[in-house]
Amino acid sequence: MLTAGIDMGTQRVKVVILKDNQILSRNQNFSGFEPTKAAEQAFEEALQNAKLSREDIQHVTATGAGVEMAPFSDSTVSMMGADARAGAYFFSSARTVIDVGAEEARAVRFDEKGIMLDFVVNARCAAGAGTFIEAMARALEVELDDMGSLSLKAERASPINASCVIFAESDVVSLIHREEPKPEIARAIFDAMAERVSSMVYRLGINQDITLVGGVAKDVGFIASLKRRLGMEILIPEEPLFAGAVGAALIAAKRAGRRQ
Amino acid sequence: MASEIEVGSKYIPEMSKKEIEELGSSIKAASIKVIEENIERMKKTWPNRPEAMEYFDEISNFFGRREKEIREQKEAGKKLIGYSCMFAPIELILAAGAIPVRVGSGWYDAAKLGDRIMPVEVCPVIRSTVGAKMVNLSPYLELSDAIIIPLTCDGRTKLSEILSDFKTIWYMSPPRVKDDPQSLTLWKEEMQVIKGKIEELTGNKITRKNLRSSIEVMQKATKAFRRLQDLRKGSPVITGRDAMLVNQTSLWDDIKRWTQKTDELCDELEKRLEQKNWACPPDTPRVMVTGTPMLWPDSWKVPNLIEESNPQGVLVVDEQCSGDRILYDPVGVDEWTMSDMFDAVSERYLMASTCPCFTSEHGNEDRVNWLMNRIKEYKVDGVIYYVVRGCILYAMEYARIKRILDRMGLPVYYLDTEYTREDVGQMKTRIEAFLEMLEARIDI
Repeated sequence: MLTAGIDMGTQRVKVVILKDNQILSRNQNFSGFEPTKAAEQAFEEALQNAKLSREDIQHVTATGAGVEMAPFSDSTVSMMGADARAGAYFFSSARTVIDVGAEEARAVRFDEKGIMLDFVVNARCAAGAGTFIEAMARALEVELDDMGSLSLKAERASPINASCVIFAESDVVSLIHREEPKPEIARAIFDAMAERVSSMVYRLGINQDITLVGGVAKDVGFIASLKRRLGMEILIPEEPLFAGAVGAALIAAKRAGRRQ
Repeated sequence: MASEIEVGSKYIPEMSKKEIEELGSSIKAASIKVIEENIERMKKTWPNRPEAMEYFDEISNFFGRREKEIREQKEAGKKLIGYSCMFAPIELILAAGAIPVRVGSGWYDAAKLGDRIMPVEVCPVIRSTVGAKMVNLSPYLELSDAIIIPLTCDGRTKLSEILSDFKTIWYMSPPRVKDDPQSLTLWKEEMQVIKGKIEELTGNKITRKNLRSSIEVMQKATKAFRRLQDLRKGSPVITGRDAMLVNQTSLWDDIKRWTQKTDELCDELEKRLEQKNWACPPDTPRVMVTGTPMLWPDSWKVPNLIEESNPQGVLVVDEQCSGDRILYDPVGVDEWTMSDMFDAVSERYLMASTCPCFTSEHGNEDRVNWLMNRIKEYKVDGVIYYVVRGCILYAMEYARIKRILDRMGLPVYYLDTEYTREDVGQMKTRIEAFLEMLEARIDI
């Protein structure tokens, strides 16, 4: 059975095609100003890579903040529901998934079948999400991709106000003026994010393993800070960016199966 | 030495007449639009909405029929007594021939005006009520001859002080520990003071005869109210928002007429129950809300999202002083003597309340029990714990309630919001995820 998941993220759209619950093809694109078009393009390319046509796909499930702008779908699922399903799919020992995307961080607790049991969302403030790292990289004048490795060189973290991106940015500027080493500022930024994210996890309660997904799950700096905060190992799948789309495609498979 | 300190009002800055009029009329126009929109949305969710709801739609307009009636009655010599919380003794107000009406603002736009005086950390219900006063928005607040403000939370405590520049304020201090031996004694003394003030304002004595008749009027209202809530226990014959609207209009409507109209609605709903004519599919996840009062019209934001969501939810019960708590508890009288009736009224307003302002070493047990009983009686699938920013008492009690609901195996979601329309997208995402979760559990 062939199914697909489309994750309409705020920064990127992600597409995954599954064959009998195995990943056959995946693709992504920047959401830009025309997310519908971006998703359509990503979907077509994913189909081409798998040598498939649209008609071969039995069920498409869409998710993500821009779910209403999905070019087409047979059904939709919440981002938390998709994360839960993907978390259980990637690691059978995991019962909590943390998804840190561009503009939102969330933690979802789920059962062994990947059914969501509880969730916490931090969307009030960007200081817990990916755009925060971007803004801080700009303030530090380093490449976004270098932030993580830079922070790993630090021995301690500088003090910054991480309650708000704007305050943090002005703190970072004054730290730079005081010639505080950049690695220590970078580490402070990741520590602050990890603090926020871990408090969400603690609110849900930790049982068994935790998996981290979303665009920020590739950032070595954030991973190191989060491990330190939680005091435990964190499982990270191969392509964490696609977790939402994988979850949606798995749900599509379940829904297609039910319909038959 | 207040007279030496005071120059003008204590809090509210001077505003030009022109600004007051312009802001007032633009917020009023926006509010009428929101009222109409809400009703349209309710009709859309429930296309087969009973005719009996039309009456409540009409009364839901603050600037319509009811305002006119109150103005006329005031001209004929009646007094209007406003109140901010459900601790105000309605029976005493009615006995003295005055009109009771709850004042407390559900206007989002008015909260922005309140921001001129208070930081945004303050509860928006308070900021909005002050904002409404700044531009004379609420007809009920404006027409009030006196306002009873029970000092339940910090917000209301200072609200009374701010409004005292404009209105006669009668303070009531509910004891914070209900079960202390002196609590009821103190509360009865508060009631005596309020009784005296009501009598003085109206010029009417509260007698054995008129108090008995007002208690009976309110008992009938409670009966109709309970009849409606009982109808929500089974498969949905009414949407949550419609029931909420009926409940909330009791706060400003003529209570006798409201009782009659609610009974008429219940007659129709009972017929529908027999015909299995549901307001939404019977397997729709059944949601309870608890927390900060959701005041008409703007705070319909979350109820609208719950009942319009995909998957859909239906609000079957709430634990809010703007909803199922309003008229649930009757005044229980043994002997129709003055002192017995007075004691019964006093007890009803203190002992039956599940307000989070109460505390004890066992926690706010009455609220916990109310929640647990309702969850079972109404077969609730999940609870939305609704808190607006700055609503400290409800926010703090969450951890306790969450533990209890976890033990019951019942999903609960803490939904924190503001008096703003800007977070509708975020609220929608969360509510949808929560309902999806409930649906998945029902599926299993």
